[in-house]
Amino acid sequence: MIDASTKDVAVLNPSPFAALRLDNPFVPEKDWLQDIQVNQLKAFLHRGFPTQKEELWKYTDVTGLAKQSYIWPKRNLESFQQKIKLEKAISIVFVNGYFSPEFSNLTALPENVICTTISDAIIQHEDRIKPYLINKMDLNRHPFAVLNGALMTDGVFILIPKNVFISVPIHFYYYNTQQTEFLTAPRNIILAEAHSEVTFIEEYTSDNEAKYFTNAVTEIHAEENARVNHYKLQAENPSATHIANIFIKQKQNSVVKSFNLSIGGRLAREDVHVLQQETGAECYLQGFYHLTRDQQHIDNHVHVDHCAMHGVSSMLYKGIMRKKSHAVFNGKVFVHKNAQHIQAHQANHNLLLSFDAEVDTKPELEIYADDVKCTHGATVGQLDSEALFYLRARGIDKDQAMALLTHAFADEVMNQIKDEEIKNYVKQRASHVEE
Amino acid sequence: MLVIKNLQASIQDEKQKTKSILRGINLTVKPGEVHAIMGPNGSGKSTLANVLAGREDYQIDGGTVELEDKNLLTLSPEERAAAGLFLAFQYPVEIPGVNNMYFLKAAVNSIRKQRNLSQLDAIDFLKIIKEKIKEVGMDEKFLSRAVNEGFSGGEKKRNEILQMLMLEPRLAILDETDSGLDIDALQMVAKGVNSLRDPNRSIIVVTHYQRLLDYIVPDFVHVMVKGQIIKSGDKELALELEAKGYGWLESSI
Ligand SMILES: Nc1ncnc2c1ncn2[C@@H]1O[C@H](COP(=O)(O)OP(=O)(O)O)[C@@H](O)[C@H]1O
Ligand SMILES: [Mg+2]
Repeated sequence: MIDASTKDVAVLNPSPFAALRLDNPFVPEKDWLQDIQVNQLKAFLHRGFPTQKEELWKYTDVTGLAKQSYIWPKRNLESFQQKIKLEKAISIVFVNGYFSPEFSNLTALPENVICTTISDAIIQHEDRIKPYLINKMDLNRHPFAVLNGALMTDGVFILIPKNVFISVPIHFYYYNTQQTEFLTAPRNIILAEAHSEVTFIEEYTSDNEAKYFTNAVTEIHAEENARVNHYKLQAENPSATHIANIFIKQKQNSVVKSFNLSIGGRLAREDVHVLQQETGAECYLQGFYHLTRDQQHIDNHVHVDHCAMHGVSSMLYKGIMRKKSHAVFNGKVFVHKNAQHIQAHQANHNLLLSFDAEVDTKPELEIYADDVKCTHGATVGQLDSEALFYLRARGIDKDQAMALLTHAFADEVMNQIKDEEIKNYVKQRASHVEE
Repeated sequence: MLVIKNLQASIQDEKQKTKSILRGINLTVKPGEVHAIMGPNGSGKSTLANVLAGREDYQIDGGTVELEDKNLLTLSPEERAAAGLFLAFQYPVEIPGVNNMYFLKAAVNSIRKQRNLSQLDAIDFLKIIKEKIKEVGMDEKFLSRAVNEGFSGGEKKRNEILQMLMLEPRLAILDETDSGLDIDALQMVAKGVNSLRDPNRSIIVVTHYQRLLDYIVPDFVHVMVKGQIIKSGDKELALELEAKGYGWLESSI
């Protein structure tokens, strides 16, 4: 049974989660899975929701989540139309958390690649997926990942075998339509074996107004010389809460690129955690956040652990804040002892477009090796008034001039996307912001 | 064309102290005329140019400005541009991330739109710009770069003239477009300006040196000192200033 007696029950009401766990409609029943879910829930409830007294949550208040009520979503069988679509993609669509085969298209999937739902993988590929599901997450640092473990809904499992290269991107599309409050906890696991290559996009969006809660976890395992291109697009509705943990584990000489677009939600928190375990790994982490509404809050925490020699990490996050919104950025590069010859760069640039908007940015370096090349920097600024005047003096009206300058600001990071089709898709996505 | 009466403008410095810069400017420019404004550094020439273009940093403390019977001071910068005013900036700003060609096309079409003219499509636009860019002696590769970013001083000035030729203003104000240019570039600028000379167009050339006026021959020369035009004359005045400096005039106020 759940033991919550040691916690402050006023802040933490365990019953909705306990009840949810008991009738989880998403994952198949397996004893080992039940055990892990019971343990993770127990662990999470014992720890409790993070509070702003914790350094990692200093600027982001998630205590409201403890006071919300939760139910599982219902299946929606109505059809829907993706407003914008990638021309060529293997697409896996989830509506209200449920896999929707009728909207998905896996025809371009090479035969030797496993690409299926988590629930299917638990049955069909139990031995392959189990080690990842029973793996313990760091409760203190990633409490929501542990909660995801307890209440996991469905998600995507991909295994790209050794030497396989998939040229078509795989698009996971999480789409919500239900109008009442609910919870989903998607889990995605991507295993790129040695010398393989894959590109995937995980996208979260909705057309409803429900105050739902998405608590996602994505794990990327890049083996020796693997190349993984990852795009995360968060465009939830203006009432939603989106919390995501992305774990990237890198083996020797692997290259991972991860692009993180965050424009939706009332409250969003995105943690990207890279662990370079072997020599010569490279990661390129980019992000763009655009806050357009009063009370909108988006928090990016990006953390790279260099544990081996000759690693490279490069971080570029940019954000635009309007109205009374609040953005948080925390980038941390941690170079462990003996991880020599590391090159690490991080930059965070912010554009405040209203007097009421706020941003808290903190780039951090922690270095325990002596032969490393690291740079970091953060800026917070407004639109360049000289440039604005210059454009207007040439006849371009104020709104268009401002749009030109904000696009130019965003393009620096958008243009890091080398795939033209995906770049256009991300740009279109980014311009569909709700004000 | 342009009638400025008793124009006064000031700026708030960092310490919120008001500093008066233009202290009663009077100037009338008729269609087809070329006027030169000369004067020592800090006398307010650029301020006058920027106030006319609509820069909001300056406060207008008095006076009136009419451009072809429009009350210029009530218009936004973009409306002034559409009304036919063009300022070639003394220090053109660099705008990273905004493509020069895209910018030029947006500018041309914004002005055409405000004047109720049809939009130029990509093909027509390209034809015109290729022709004009030759006139100013710029390489076409500058079109695919960001506006003024990493341009040398001379390249920036040529880019200003290119914009002027594309926008075909009624009143062009050139703020020290000649400074820092070698003689080839100077002649190019002069050629560009002279090609615009026509009975319906007026030009104000702000300059430090009489050199430019050998190529763009002005109808009138004005001397600005401490925010006022203290002397006006014809092109002979420029030669006199070149020979004697400004000292003899400054001591007279
Ligand atoms: N934006 C500004 N902020 C503060 N002072 C200014 C500003 N613009 C002009 N000034 C001051 O006004 C005076 C006139 O400057 P300016 O118009 O640039 O002169 P000129 O172009 O004749 O050299 C100078 O003393 C200058 O320092
Ligand atoms: Mg000047």
